[in-house]
Amino acid sequence: MQPPVLAEKEQLKVQDLMVRFYTYEGIVKAVEKAKLKLRLGETLGIVGETGSGKSVTALTIMALTPTPGKVEGGNIYFRLTSGEIVDVLKLRGVELLKIRGKEISMIFQEPNAALDPLYTVGDQIAEAILTHRLPEMLERVNQLKKKEADSFLMRLPIFRGIFEKRLLNQVVREEIVQLLRLMEIPDPERVLDSYPHELSGGMQQRIVIAIALACSPALLLADEPTTNLDVTVQAQILDLIMRLKQRFGMSIIYITHDMGVIAEICDRVAVMYAGNVVEVAPVKEIFKNPLHPYTKALLESIPKPGSAFKSIPGTVPNLVNPPSGCRFHPRCAYAMKKCSVEVPQLKEVSKEHNVACFLHGDA
Amino acid sequence: MKMVKVKGRFRGGESPRIRELAFILNRIRRSPLSIAGIIIVLFFTFIAIFAPVLAHPQPNRDPYMMPRYGFSPIPRPPGPDFLFGTTEGQYDLYYGIIWGARTAYRIGVLVVAVSMIMGIVIGSIAGYYKGVIDEVLMRITDIILAFPALILAMAFVVAFGRGLDSITFALILVWWPSYARLVRGEVLKITAEDFVEAAKAIGCSDFRIMVRHVLPNTIFPLIVMASLDIGSVVLTAAALSFLGLGAPTGYADWGQIISLSRNWITGAPGNPFAYWHTYIIPGVFLFLFVMGWNLLGDALRDVFDPMIRRR
Amino acid sequence: MDNMLVTVNLKKYFPIRGGLLGAKKGEVKAVDGVNMAIRKGETFGLVGESGCGKTTCGKTVIRLLKPDGGQIFFDPKGGLPENPGDNYGQFDIARLRGKQLKGLRRHMQIVYQNPSTSLNPRMLVKDLVAEPLIVHKICKGAEAEKRVLEIFEDVGLSSEHLHRYPHEFSGGQKQRIAVARALITNPEFVVLDEPTSSVDVSVRASLLQLFKELQRKMGLTYLFISHDLSVVQVLCDRVAVMYLGKIVEVAESKELFNNPLHPYTQALFSAIPIPDPETKRKRIILKGEPPSPAKPPLGCKFHPRCPKAMELCATNEPMLIETRRGHWVACHLY
Repeated sequence: MQPPVLAEKEQLKVQDLMVRFYTYEGIVKAVEKAKLKLRLGETLGIVGETGSGKSVTALTIMALTPTPGKVEGGNIYFRLTSGEIVDVLKLRGVELLKIRGKEISMIFQEPNAALDPLYTVGDQIAEAILTHRLPEMLERVNQLKKKEADSFLMRLPIFRGIFEKRLLNQVVREEIVQLLRLMEIPDPERVLDSYPHELSGGMQQRIVIAIALACSPALLLADEPTTNLDVTVQAQILDLIMRLKQRFGMSIIYITHDMGVIAEICDRVAVMYAGNVVEVAPVKEIFKNPLHPYTKALLESIPKPGSAFKSIPGTVPNLVNPPSGCRFHPRCAYAMKKCSVEVPQLKEVSKEHNVACFLHGDA
Repeated sequence: MKMVKVKGRFRGGESPRIRELAFILNRIRRSPLSIAGIIIVLFFTFIAIFAPVLAHPQPNRDPYMMPRYGFSPIPRPPGPDFLFGTTEGQYDLYYGIIWGARTAYRIGVLVVAVSMIMGIVIGSIAGYYKGVIDEVLMRITDIILAFPALILAMAFVVAFGRGLDSITFALILVWWPSYARLVRGEVLKITAEDFVEAAKAIGCSDFRIMVRHVLPNTIFPLIVMASLDIGSVVLTAAALSFLGLGAPTGYADWGQIISLSRNWITGAPGNPFAYWHTYIIPGVFLFLFVMGWNLLGDALRDVFDPMIRRR
Repeated sequence: MDNMLVTVNLKKYFPIRGGLLGAKKGEVKAVDGVNMAIRKGETFGLVGESGCGKTTCGKTVIRLLKPDGGQIFFDPKGGLPENPGDNYGQFDIARLRGKQLKGLRRHMQIVYQNPSTSLNPRMLVKDLVAEPLIVHKICKGAEAEKRVLEIFEDVGLSSEHLHRYPHEFSGGQKQRIAVARALITNPEFVVLDEPTSSVDVSVRASLLQLFKELQRKMGLTYLFISHDLSVVQVLCDRVAVMYLGKIVEVAESKELFNNPLHPYTQALFSAIPIPDPETKRKRIILKGEPPSPAKPPLGCKFHPRCPKAMELCATNEPMLIETRRGHWVACHLY
């Protein structure tokens, strides 16, 4: 008997993920042997800058790797709400459609880019509901129908069709209003019928979250959802996300470059650099005891009153020709000879704290 | 989609402008139709340039008038004497086709170039200054767009007499509005960008901003439109010549040549394709010319597509 | 008496057009009566959220936009008092036009937020940076190229970067190119409009370091516009907080961050996430959304969202008063 791929309390496991982009300039090795683990109900933060591969990894978890990217290897094991475990990368067609939006949902950085300007906000939420929860909605329609049965009009098929359609709209509308109330949107009936451009950035993002949570997913992927929002609005949205997490009991992967946000909402943190996961640890550990030189440099570059500005020398490497061995070694203050030759693997150094660096533990 | 591995690509080297050119050439390589278009256009360019060599002009005669070898109205089929045969009035078809390429380029390039310049001037003023100026200029453009090209050409011919000059004027007048509109749209888009405001912040004059900052960024759609238009202009000019409005009889112009075959399209009794060479040959050349430019225009549009540009 | 830029009741409105012929339906009061005094050599921070008018203010102050009211006094030598009266009329640049306005551009420059859009993608870097020299007829050709190389050295670029297009550079390098372009005519006053927002976190620090060094080396005065309070706290000498077109609080940076008086400033500061999981900050979550600048509330513009609003706030607009030395607030609480 094979041991189960996912432990009992694990929601997601990304193993040795490799994603490459075939472009005019050459082959971009965007994600290289990435490893991530997520527990049920946990909030995992992924920190990284441009070129770190964090967005590509998140999109690949939903099998939405953007072209011209190709997944070249690895597994993504995911536990469905039913308890069944699947490898997302091996799913095709209908199976995949059943997962996206229902089991795994994603929210992005630009809310007005995620919303279609031609449809009202209500229509877009309805689309999510009708795609995945149609049987449930039809059941409610049936219940309502029983109350109205036996009128003359109901005998005629045309009228019955129209009537059923109206009931369905009504049922879905009620559900949407409920959802908008959960998102703490004032005046939900009016907002329902608005177009995205009539709403502010914060409201739009709430709508995007509503669409994402319309089907109670097990996992929510958030790719810098508050980066473009004002600070006060960001505070509101972060608050909302935390409360929704309690209510829906979902796991969250939160991607950001803002260490402050990480400190606020994450349980564990993964740091990515140039396509590799270089450090993973519980949030308190990461701030108190950063082990990887990149993590240390990142924390030090946060401006603090009274101290000088510290930046990381050099630039993010070109991923068509990444540096040999450890991809951070050209910018690393502690680089050794070994670093330019071998690639350090992610190893557990202390309880729950994993680092990919030759300075810590034999890689 | 299968990945096409590009072997032996054009290398760029140090100069950034050459690198840009290499990028363009590489993109064109990928599409067989684009290559076909380029080959066709090069073929016609070659013919046009070397017309005097390929078909010797007769002494003491306007080289654009086709030489006649007799007065019989019945066209002679292609043979050892005349490569493409002759058309009604014994005009040498081969000569006409070769020099017709030159005529086609003359009209096409002239109309497109002048329309483009007029369109750029009017469109950029309208797009840059907006407001009332924009409204007025665009209404004028709308009015001209409503003119039917054919009627206008006829009016010009009545006023100034038949000839290629008349129809060239008519075509220019009818063609510039589309360029004005295109340029105006692009200028509106570009002036909204930060770098135009940055140029203002530096202290650039309006003129300098338009010439150095705005227009170079609008060139690509213009080039695409121009290359697609050369074919359309030549086709329209050929139609006008066919109707008798353009080139005089005997002029080396494809439309004119087809016009000469008017009486012979039905052929001889019992053999409907007896005189096929009088209309098929010029027709095919006209078709290829327009097709070549259309393919080139499409290829350029693909290359300059901003999605691909941003890599 | 050492101010370089003083604005008095600065106003900038944008018309809202609608209808068939584009008639004016209303106005967006982006900047509605702003009084600022920026001292020579200091870094003056302007913070606020989207829609507060800080970017409009920055652009109006250097006359990229034409103000609709008020005065802007500018003295490149920095000799203005805090309340210039009629004696200083010749320094008022609010209504300058034509050649005089162009002459102003040598002394006042701006660096934009997004270097990808603020650099002409079809121009070589060397032409981009040399353009101000050519426009102001300072020099051209080989001499201009020499000046470009000099400024390159100051911003951390080199001669190999001259003959390239902007898209070939990273975000941080592009921003350096933009800075080079802004500084090549040796201006005295530079507006930095969120210059680090589009750039990676690790590069941010090096850019901030660059700004500080250049200020010291070239004697620059900065107006630093940002919504990133952690950066403002470290870089700026004095900071002004804007809300819906008005300044609600001004103070020295340290004083402001240690002791915010205006309820909006307090809420703003409490909203910044702290990069330390141990401290749990007590959040002041404001109710409602930031209002639209087209339909501002009556009285104090902040009162609908203010946790400490009183009756007076709905009818009377508070004026900026000095509560402690150098610390001004516009709030009825004081």
